Amino acid sequence: MNKKKRIGVYICHCGGNISDYVDVEKVRQAVDGGDAEIVVMAKTTMFACSDANQREMVEDIKANNLDGVIVSSCSPKLHMLTFRNVTERADLNKFTYVHANIREQASWAHSDNKIGATEKAIHLVKAAIAKSRYADALETNKIKATKTVAVIGAGVAGMKAALSLAEKDTEVILIEKENHVGGRVAEWGSLFSSTETGKEIIDRLYAEIVRHKNITLMTNTEVFENKGSVGNIAIKVRTITEGTEKLTEYTVGSVLMATGYDHYTPKEGEYGYGSTPKVITLPEFKNMIDNQSGKLMHNGAEIKNIAYIYCVGSRQSEGENTYCSRNCCTSTIHAAVTAKQKFSGITNYHFTRGLRTYGKQEILYADSLRAGDIYLQFYEDGIPTVTNEGKKTLVKVNDVLTNNREIEVEADLVVLVTGMVPRANSTIGTLFKLPKGRDNFFNEVHMKLRPVETVIDGVTIAGACQGPKNITESVNSALSAATKSYSILSKGELETDPLVATIDPEKCTWCGACEAACPFDAILKIDNGKKIIAEINNSVCKGCGMCAPVCEPDAINLIACSSPEIMSMIDALV
Amino acid sequence: MENTVKNITYDALVIGAGIAGGETALNLANTGYKVLLVDKELSVGGKMIMLSKVFPTLDCAACITTPKVSEISRHPNITIFTGSEVGKIRKLSDNEFVAQVTRQPRYVHVEDCTACQLCEKACPVNVRDQYQFGLIGRKAAFIPFSICSPKAAAIDIENCTLCGACEKACPTNCIDFTMEVETMELHVKTVVIATGFNLFNAEKMPRYGYGVYKNVITAQQMERELAPTRPFNTVLRPSDGKVPDKIAYVLCVGSRDASIGNPVCSQICCMYSIKQAQLLMGTLPMADVTIYYINIRSFGKGFEEFYEQAKGMGVNFVKGKIGRISEKENGNLILRYEDINEGKLQEAEHDMVILSTGVLPNTGIDKFFENQKLQLDPYDFVAQSDMLVSPSKTSIDGVFVAGTATGPMDIPDSILSAGAASSEAISYLIQQS
Repeated sequence: MNKKKRIGVYICHCGGNISDYVDVEKVRQAVDGGDAEIVVMAKTTMFACSDANQREMVEDIKANNLDGVIVSSCSPKLHMLTFRNVTERADLNKFTYVHANIREQASWAHSDNKIGATEKAIHLVKAAIAKSRYADALETNKIKATKTVAVIGAGVAGMKAALSLAEKDTEVILIEKENHVGGRVAEWGSLFSSTETGKEIIDRLYAEIVRHKNITLMTNTEVFENKGSVGNIAIKVRTITEGTEKLTEYTVGSVLMATGYDHYTPKEGEYGYGSTPKVITLPEFKNMIDNQSGKLMHNGAEIKNIAYIYCVGSRQSEGENTYCSRNCCTSTIHAAVTAKQKFSGITNYHFTRGLRTYGKQEILYADSLRAGDIYLQFYEDGIPTVTNEGKKTLVKVNDVLTNNREIEVEADLVVLVTGMVPRANSTIGTLFKLPKGRDNFFNEVHMKLRPVETVIDGVTIAGACQGPKNITESVNSALSAATKSYSILSKGELETDPLVATIDPEKCTWCGACEAACPFDAILKIDNGKKIIAEINNSVCKGCGMCAPVCEPDAINLIACSSPEIMSMIDALV
Repeated sequence: MENTVKNITYDALVIGAGIAGGETALNLANTGYKVLLVDKELSVGGKMIMLSKVFPTLDCAACITTPKVSEISRHPNITIFTGSEVGKIRKLSDNEFVAQVTRQPRYVHVEDCTACQLCEKACPVNVRDQYQFGLIGRKAAFIPFSICSPKAAAIDIENCTLCGACEKACPTNCIDFTMEVETMELHVKTVVIATGFNLFNAEKMPRYGYGVYKNVITAQQMERELAPTRPFNTVLRPSDGKVPDKIAYVLCVGSRDASIGNPVCSQICCMYSIKQAQLLMGTLPMADVTIYYINIRSFGKGFEEFYEQAKGMGVNFVKGKIGRISEKENGNLILRYEDINEGKLQEAEHDMVILSTGVLPNTGIDKFFENQKLQLDPYDFVAQSDMLVSPSKTSIDGVFVAGTATGPMDIPDSILSAGAASSEAISYLIQQS
């Protein structure tokens, strides 16, 4: 192992994110020239990631003939790749770069203790220097990538993503568990800001999909097995038609997840749902107005007064769904306006928690006000009540907009404005090991930098499985995910990190402990001509390190986390 | 990379190098297409690069923008023209557009400038710094802002006295007053419009006193006061440099207001105001921050939680639109409003007022197109010809739109919209070839 002698260290202010709590100059002084004088250069910088600093780094590396570089800044999740690339541009092997996280781990974690935060930052940087001495130059692995994408879910997002990929000469396997395409949008009639109905939109997309030679559409189909990794993911699917089961296997380069959402179902008794027949949900109401004509009827009675109660199952500051479901306000007003236009004598009473008709949707709200819709408002601590008095159903609230006056509406129909919730069935997410956010929707890597990628390489997410969205927003995210999946595969070849486990065949005795510990099925049992040993499948191994500690004969080494590297880091930290 | 090549064919012309245009250019370039990226400003990065932190994660805007800007700047498939404007675009046939691009002289050879700032020190002319929204001054020979790209000086020729001091001070002789306007005709196969938005000019609402009362500023100015590269290194009120301790935000200034011609909700102001309020609570722990609102629109992923967090931190939310602001002798401001919760007219005194101004269209884009009609929507944003199914398609086949050119949008949505525009543009390029 080649010990480094000329290491350069950068300590980032992160524009105050770090320097407000960590004394970056003190950190610099603590490491400059230290560690047996192998640190030949240490600098602080306002933004290490800025273009100007990146250029300076390239110049510094060359001018000082550095053989190791450390940036002490934010989480490696954010910028490790940025600085590896800088190192590479300076003709230094990019894997000799070592990252120290002094933002999440020092300044943000210890904003109440500036001295402690600074001390911890010094330790973290010293540990990185220690590791850097042993960081080997490595080469990336190149693997062939299959130019096929599996799109899971054939709602509007999945259909658009499939079409977009197919137009880019990419094969698509479009997988849908129902017996029809179109997801939620296929259920809808009239839509805000469109002359087409939901069903017509789906028919248009479906016609394009069946025409396209690059798309294989599989309905009644579910994925039940997932192996391999980005570039070559082996999936097995089960199709059930008329009671017969058919299994098919595909190898795809990327998986685009577009599995949609569920409607929130009110709890038994929530605003009288289930016990009062006049209480229905928004999807049920939309269905009613789309399918009826002449008079609007419910349970044999004509509907005149409609009360809409907003945010049912959303914005529960103490409940399970803390988030705002984003499009229910607009969706409800559109339905109310449509009902008023289609049926005579309708009066709409909106019990809201403050309307969120953002952007141009505001015009719809203004229109409905002009048309005479009545808006009332409440806060979370004063929600409306739904009570029955004889045959009457009464909705009561203390209205914020009229100085908390108690207002009572006799409603022929109470519409609970239910929002979007994550799919109750999470089998597919578990199968692909997709992380979820606080809201239980699938989580992106970074909302702004990598909004459609997940921490699982090659698996992208689109549409409402990532969070509530309207159709336009779902399609935007679907096309973004398609662009990402396409750009991963378009070259036909992928570079993967060489940071994998290695087996020492001399020491390995094949006990199988590593195979049991590996979450990615990357360990194979082979006969090397002398004995039975374990072997690592490099294209599948993620370098997670689960196997190394369970190996009794210590036959497993993790590249870039070798024993000398880790031991020297521990020495620096304690 | 910034370039001087002329009369060359590119696969795509991207107009506007903010986050939407930048993201579009990168997506196209990373799939092998040659992109010409044009921006009228002296730096790429658009409005986002000037922000402090961004909601709802409180990532610093620079941490997210600058690496993207860096990647755009050195991508071999991207040619950047800053300080340049698209004049006319003519569609010759499918897959063939001719675009006239005019580059204003920077009077500095960017490739030779080391951004040493000696010209700034030498220049005797002081003018208001538009990149700090007028909070401080700058020289006529200046580097636009600390994290700009290209990081190079420029000469503000309007205000320059041609004294020659900068030229003498420059160690690399990169200042050149003989530079002239360049007009280029470029052939491209597809066009993406990412021209962004304008902010409402608060002077158009005299009852709030912007431009008259010194301690009434815009949220854009406060953004600079809170930014890591902030001019004062703390938050100060302009009239006397006092640290404010009773700050008010007025929402919906120039939005949701038909009386000033903009009935649309700007979609971002609630959230950026809540974000600033949280940052102010951090910077000035003793200050009271009150947000006067009509409705709080925290609708995106993590937004509602961010709003709740602000309430938890002690930000005071008052439901009521401000009717009028008047100034006291000590520079404090009296806000008159209808307090909806109390049901009566109230007055409140604050020592600094921030106007959360709204998003307006960047007009004139339709004039670019000579022989085709680019449809606008009723509010003068670029119309989406198939809004639900293909949101980035416009009325001209082969011309796509990304980001806030179609209407108000936050950063995550702008980036997704750019992803969609690049997807459509790539499909168009493949289908036409």
